[in-house]
Amino acid sequence: MPKRLSALARCFLCLLVLSICAVAQENSAAAASATEFAQQIVERAGNPQSMSVSFQNISVLLPEMQESVQNAIFTAFRNANIRLVKPEQSTVQTEIIFSEDWQGYLWIADIQSGANKQMVMKKVPRPERAASAKAPVLTIRKNTVWQQDAQILDFYLDNQQLVLLEPTEIAIYAGDGGQWRPRYTLAIVHPESWPRDLRGRLIVNGSQLTAFLPGTRCTGSSSPPTLECRASDDPWQIDSSGLAGFFSPRRNFFTGILAGSSAGASVIPFFSGATWQSGDLKQWLFTGTDGRARFYQYDLSAPIAIFSGWGGNMAAIRSPCGSGTQLLMSSPNDSVRPDAVQAVEVLGREALPVSTPIELAGPVQAMWTAGKNSEFVNGVMLSPETGRYEAFTLNVSCGR
Amino acid sequence: MKPSRLMSAAVASLALVLLAQASSRPRYGGAAHIVLRDRVNTLDPLGEEDHPATRDRMNALIFENLTSMDAQGRLRSGLASSWQSDASKRVWQFHLRLAEFHDGSVLTAADAVASLQRSMGEWKITAIDRQTISIDATASAPHLPELLALPRFAIAKKTPENTLFGTGPYKFSEWQAGERLVLTANDDYWGGRPFPDSIEFQMGLPLRDQLLERQLGPYAAAELTVDQLRSIEQTNQNIMISRQSDLFAIVFLQGDDAAGRGRKPVDPRIREALANTVNRGAITSVILQKRAVAASGILPQWLTGYESLFPGNNSMDRAKELRSETAALVIVPPIALAYDASDPISKLLAERIALDAREAGIVVQPFGEAHVGNKQARSSLNAGAVLLRLPLAATEPSVALAARMDEMGLLPEHSALNLKADQPEQLFDLEGKALQTFRVIPIAHSSQAVWLSPATHNWQQSPTGSWQLDQFWVEGAR
Repeated sequence: MPKRLSALARCFLCLLVLSICAVAQENSAAAASATEFAQQIVERAGNPQSMSVSFQNISVLLPEMQESVQNAIFTAFRNANIRLVKPEQSTVQTEIIFSEDWQGYLWIADIQSGANKQMVMKKVPRPERAASAKAPVLTIRKNTVWQQDAQILDFYLDNQQLVLLEPTEIAIYAGDGGQWRPRYTLAIVHPESWPRDLRGRLIVNGSQLTAFLPGTRCTGSSSPPTLECRASDDPWQIDSSGLAGFFSPRRNFFTGILAGSSAGASVIPFFSGATWQSGDLKQWLFTGTDGRARFYQYDLSAPIAIFSGWGGNMAAIRSPCGSGTQLLMSSPNDSVRPDAVQAVEVLGREALPVSTPIELAGPVQAMWTAGKNSEFVNGVMLSPETGRYEAFTLNVSCGR
Repeated sequence: MKPSRLMSAAVASLALVLLAQASSRPRYGGAAHIVLRDRVNTLDPLGEEDHPATRDRMNALIFENLTSMDAQGRLRSGLASSWQSDASKRVWQFHLRLAEFHDGSVLTAADAVASLQRSMGEWKITAIDRQTISIDATASAPHLPELLALPRFAIAKKTPENTLFGTGPYKFSEWQAGERLVLTANDDYWGGRPFPDSIEFQMGLPLRDQLLERQLGPYAAAELTVDQLRSIEQTNQNIMISRQSDLFAIVFLQGDDAAGRGRKPVDPRIREALANTVNRGAITSVILQKRAVAASGILPQWLTGYESLFPGNNSMDRAKELRSETAALVIVPPIALAYDASDPISKLLAERIALDAREAGIVVQPFGEAHVGNKQARSSLNAGAVLLRLPLAATEPSVALAARMDEMGLLPEHSALNLKADQPEQLFDLEGKALQTFRVIPIAHSSQAVWLSPATHNWQQSPTGSWQLDQFWVEGAR
């Protein structure tokens, strides 16, 4: 117990130090901008010998940051040999207003020198809100792999390479001292325009690459780099347990006709599917395009439970916790809003959440089971704030 | 087995999630019915129209621009996949993506040139090759890409029979001017077929009774006026309210330099006096139901950060003083104030303005007019001033200011909407100069509101209040 407390204390201290460092960094960036701003004021005011300065804050600038900025401005004035005096003692009065627009801060200096009025305005970026220093209590852990402007449909990650499936190419990166360096890009050539809410699946086996896109299949290798794409309605491999399904060539869902280990069976059209073994019991779950998830046991003749209001993205994950298989599912929010992912176990005919939801900065675009033993889920999200796509992995650890 | 405390919390959180709504991935199919407040008579992006903002809402689904604005207000590529400029930012090159017009013809640089020349004759626009065009803005235009996202720069192909074709995600299917527009999904759209099979706009439905009786079942979305919001909010329906993006402003039709030509301009002192009589607090809190803020500038504070520096002009004493001074020298005639006859909010505002003005001895005669929103028709109105509701055209302040000043007739001719301003100080100066003549009297920045059906998903609104429907879908489809 003391050991655990000490670990917690260390963690707390670490977070505290990180948070203090982040605030200090923000304050120092603001102070640098403040110095530059003060120099512009001095120049615009014609290098006066003395000046009165007042401040007004009509923005969300925090008091501690405001103080730091004000101090930097005072210092810059003193460095320029300007005496700071009361308004009645000076011919130059400067009112500094900390304002903001929809993207960042706008610092305004309203300089009154006799009848002459001058303005200095400086745009200052608003620092990104620091991540919450609250200690994580979730059992789902997220690891950011890559971020970029171009859309990511799926990705493959191992120790040596990162392979990204994009709408127009497959990009291969090689690991180099903890960084991913671009190696090759292989163009995806296809005659038709892609459907909206484009989805894709990337399977990497050694150097062999297979990419499934709506109505198109690409095969090739990363070494030597080759890729050939052709019109195809071949079923997409959904997970490593052999579940495969036919994907609509002009839409964003699986038609419901299954292949692979469930060949010959059909279910309703679905967005995501998973199959797993519970003891001797084979189980399937499909998130239907009608917004309902259907759970099957033994066979696919009829669902034994239907769950309403689930998110469209779902992937199975293996872990040493609980029954050994959890389903990670996205939230049922609109797909333009930030998402959340929660782990669920299906016991009997009931779906029980086994984690609290992990909040994401944007909507989930893709989630696929990954790893040699299905111990990961590869996810892609789009951050509305930055407009960038993020590839990430999720895994589940037991307990808090 | 009793669930643990963590499990109970998790069950509770899931329960909330399950109660929320349906699946997150968009679904194809279905017909979406959208109700618009105003009636539109032409879809030509450059045609004379009484309600251009409503026309532009519909046109955004049919026509595309070289560039576009996303739901966060950021500049994005449109029909141009990339662009670059020379060092002076005067000459720009835009590379077109592969796209098709709705008549099946491929978009070429020549089409884009022809379309843009109709929109902006002052620029020198040429086709460099089949997929590249060059625009010489004749002066530095640092925000040309943002400017080209304005609806007036939509790329349209005009046939000799005057039929217009766009390249957008939806095609015309049926059009009854002022009544309804039916659009069908463009299966060959370069950005992917849109989710709904069709969208039908119904125009000019007041909806008051249907909203109160919750009888909007068949509709996916409906435009609301701010006075409808309070009663709707009490019934817990789904409403999306924008930032305070629309500007209500009085604009005097005759500039001081127009003296001797046509109608006599209103005396500048009376304009200033009128500006000081307007009780903006009462207007924003009562008529606009606290969904608006008092305006002292042409652009809102949230967009520029500097609007609060403009004087508020709300001194009745100053108004009376100016009125007396002027009356001692000249006869002060009544001001005929035209407002959009189809907009009940504008009517209330105009009446309130007249009431406030009376206190200072200024006679304002409000009257409803059908063509107040039509820039070309406005100039021939028998009115001294008009009350306008102006949408925010862009999130880039210089483009937004240029568009508003152009709409209000305050922009010098041949300025090509290019303010050549990049820095906040420059824009502040430009805006300040436009305000100091009192030809425009800002009244309020107001929000837009839209009612959404529970079956409507991914409806997005940009900071300007424009609708972003590229991910929009409706439940109940196949």
